[in-house]
Parts: sequence; C-alpha cells; structure tokens
Amino acid sequence: MVSTIQNTDVKQKDADHAVVVAITSHAAFESGADDGDAVYREGVAFPLLQALQKVNERLLEENPAESLLFDVILITTDSQQQQQSSRVISSTRHYGLEVSRFCFSSEEDFIESLQKNNVKLFLTTDTNEVTQASQTGVVSVLLDQQTAVCSSEQLRVMFCGDAVIRPDTGPMPLTRQAAQSFSTQLGEMRQKFGMFDSPLSFILVTSHGGRESCRGALQMLRSRGVSVDEAYCLAGAPRGPMLSLVQPHFLLRDGYSSLEE
Amino acid sequence: MSEIKPNESAPATTEDNGEEKDWAAAKAFFDNLKTHKPRPPKPRYAVTIAVSSRTLFNMVAERKIYEEEGVEKYVAYQLENENEPLKPGAAFPFVKALMNVNSRLRKLYPDSEELFDIVLMTNNHAQVGVRLINSINHYDLTIERFCMTGGQSPIGYLKAYMTNLYLSKDSEKVGEAIEEGIAAATMFMPKTEMQLSDTQLRVAFDGDAVLFSDESEIIVKKHGLDTFFEHEKEV
Repeated sequence: MVSTIQNTDVKQKDADHAVVVAITSHAAFESGADDGDAVYREGVAFPLLQALQKVNERLLEENPAESLLFDVILITTDSQQQQQSSRVISSTRHYGLEVSRFCFSSEEDFIESLQKNNVKLFLTTDTNEVTQASQTGVVSVLLDQQTAVCSSEQLRVMFCGDAVIRPDTGPMPLTRQAAQSFSTQLGEMRQKFGMFDSPLSFILVTSHGGRESCRGALQMLRSRGVSVDEAYCLAGAPRGPMLSLVQPHFLLRDGYSSLEE
Repeated sequence: MSEIKPNESAPATTEDNGEEKDWAAAKAFFDNLKTHKPRPPKPRYAVTIAVSSRTLFNMVAERKIYEEEGVEKYVAYQLENENEPLKPGAAFPFVKALMNVNSRLRKLYPDSEELFDIVLMTNNHAQVGVRLINSINHYDLTIERFCMTGGQSPIGYLKAYMTNLYLSKDSEKVGEAIEEGIAAATMFMPKTEMQLSDTQLRVAFDGDAVLFSDESEIIVKKHGLDTFFEHEKEV
C-alpha cells in the first residue's frame, strides 16, 4: 500500500519539466534507538539535499519562471519510520527541506512509488533497494558515510570515463538509457550557469585508461549535452587520494564506453 | 630495486588492495592496446613530474584573451581552435628529454617501474583539455595522466598524484607547492634563443645552496656580497 502526502510548506513543481529525485528517509535522517518524539538527526544525505536545494535556488535566481528544477520526494520504506510518519514530516519541516511529497510504502511496493512519481534518480543507503530499483530501469545510487562529508553548496556529479572491458558487468541497458537522459537533463541545468561559481559541477574520472579514454569521454559527454568541468585521468594511479579531494556526491554509471582503437 | 618514494609504507590495507586492482586494470588496458603505447609507470616507484599547461605549451595568445576578455571568451576560443595544435612551451624540450631517458631505461631495464612519469597539472577547465590532449597527440608526447581542476588551485592535487617535481610559469603556485613540501620550479621562456637538447637531460646543481647549506645564500640575498665574504671568513 502506497500513500502519498503533499508537503504544503513547499510549492509543488511542474510535473512535465521537473526532474524527480527520490531519497529514502533512512538516508535523509538518522534514527537513533531512543529518540522519542524528537526531531530526527541529520542523515548522510543531508549535504546532498542541501546541494539540490542550492541548484534550485540559483536556477530560480537566473529565471524566476524556471520549470527545469529538482523535485525532491522522500520515500519511507522502513516500517518503524512509517509508524512515525508524522515525525518524518515534522523533521522535514523543522529543517526547512525542500521536499514536495512524502511517500509511505512497504519494502515490497516502494518500486510502485518510484514509477508513480516518475522518479529519475533514486538515492538510498540500502544495497537491496539499489539493486531492485536498478532492475526496473531507475538510476539508483547507494549513499554512504562519504556522502555525509560532501559539499552542501555545490552538487558534484561524477562520470567514469573507462572503457567497458567486460560489458556483462556493466549496468543494465534500461538503466543505461535512463542514466543518459538524466545526465542530459543535468547538462541542460548546467548550461544556465557560467564556467565558474556554478552550483552544479561535472567531474570526469578515468581510472584505467589514458589520454585517449579521457578525450573520448569528454567528447562523448559533450555530444550528450554534458559539458564536463573537471577531469582527472589516472591511468592506473591510485584513486583514493584524488577522490577524497574531489568529493563527488555520486557517480553516474551509464556504461559509457570509450572508442580507444 | 630500491624504492624512490621511501615514505610510502608497505601496502596492507583494503585501500591498497583497491590500488593494486586499479593498477592491474590499467596494465591490462595498456598491454591490450593495438598502438603499443608504452604504459605509464607505477606512481609509487616513478619520479613524477607535474607540468602546467602553460609551461608545456605556448599559450601566450590564449592567456591574453583570458586576461582581457574573461574566462568564458577564453574557453570559447580554445574550443574553436581545438584541432589546432598548440606551439611548444618552456618545458617542452625538458619533457622530450625525459621521454628519451625513459626509452633508454625501458630498453636497459624492461621490467623496471623506476621511470619518469609526466602529469599535466592545470587549473584549466576540462573542455580546454580536448585541445591540450590533441596537442599532446600531435607531438606524440607520453603523457597519460591529467589533472584539470576547472578553476580550483591544482596545488592540493600534487600530493594526490604523488608529484616529485612541479613546474609552472606562476611563481605563486610554485611557492605554494614548496610550502606543501614538493620540489617546484618556475619555468620561463628564455628571452634569447637557447639550443636546448631534447635528447639529453642536462641537470645543473647550484653549488652555493643546493649541495651545501643555504645559510650563505641567505646572507648574500639579505646583506650583499661583502657580508658574505666576512661570513665565509668566520665560518
């Protein structure tokens, strides 16, 4: 059973043009063992939520009539949190989060919420949920502790420029199509800002390949309307130190394949 | 063979296992290339030289556009001229000489990772990267690692790329790198034509400050040569 509640604190977005991003309440809020009726503490997705809000703010600054905005919805699948649905709603309002709708469903039918709401990006801390959602062709990202230390001022999206050496380990074709169209929408948003001081930044990381992979990826993304801002080509150099400096909010895997030969 | 970067402790953590996987994947990638490009050395063992885009290539005209017309016009100009290779810059002969040293080392020690590794380290926007890569292809330089920060200072990334030496036209950046504990030098185009070998790497050591204490050097800079001679007599 799926129930949807509108957040009357927030102006509803234009369903035809907005980009719907679904976040689980588990990712948005930390529920402690004995919190009582208090407001939830901030979860790992908090900076990400704030960064999404920042993008919307700046888009509206550029054009107050802008309809290409992020439409954030909160999905609660946890039965414990469902029982405290009012707490989820009051916590959201307490932090002034720009969440337009709350969806309460069970683990079995949260996919229905994603489909009904035309979700383009699903963010969760649960690996099973990522797998399930991916299989239905929704771009899904697993968030973790790393996400908690990311910027709340700029949304940083990473792309991977490596050649797909073994296609069967790549993401499903459905998700690939969805990821491509989502990245094109992000690209459109990015175009509304200048080179610097943009609330949205695209980062390309090439881990294994060299300069040809990097160039191929830059040009391929460009042809899809994604103008990459930062590029790091590693050719086998260790990724860790670089990633801890770059701090992307998430990686968009779309099975991009470089035409090296 | 000895380790060139002795401050790196022996790998044991999961992060290092990830490192090994990345390295193995890169090795496989390059070994499978039909073009038989030499694969870049393992950073842990290589001498990594980071060069800025303006030292590798002559970007004086482009720089002028950036300073006079702003970043948007600058990037647009670079995009328009993407297929036009840039002319060599101050560090170009140096890079060619390093490549020559590498090919000789590879012939003598085919299994060694103790080679020079050249990284392009720039705060340029990634879109300019296409022209930079096209130019690198034009001269067939062995540069496979890049860091294009899209406006942020590249100094923070020097350590992440295990840089041993950083070359830039910007003396401020060079100063910052030195503060971070990384050897760095300001490169400039000599005003008079100099015949720089691009097959032999020629290194000069400053006898006054490098091999011996720089105490004396500091005195000359502060108080002039007379004081220097007095100091030398006392020491």
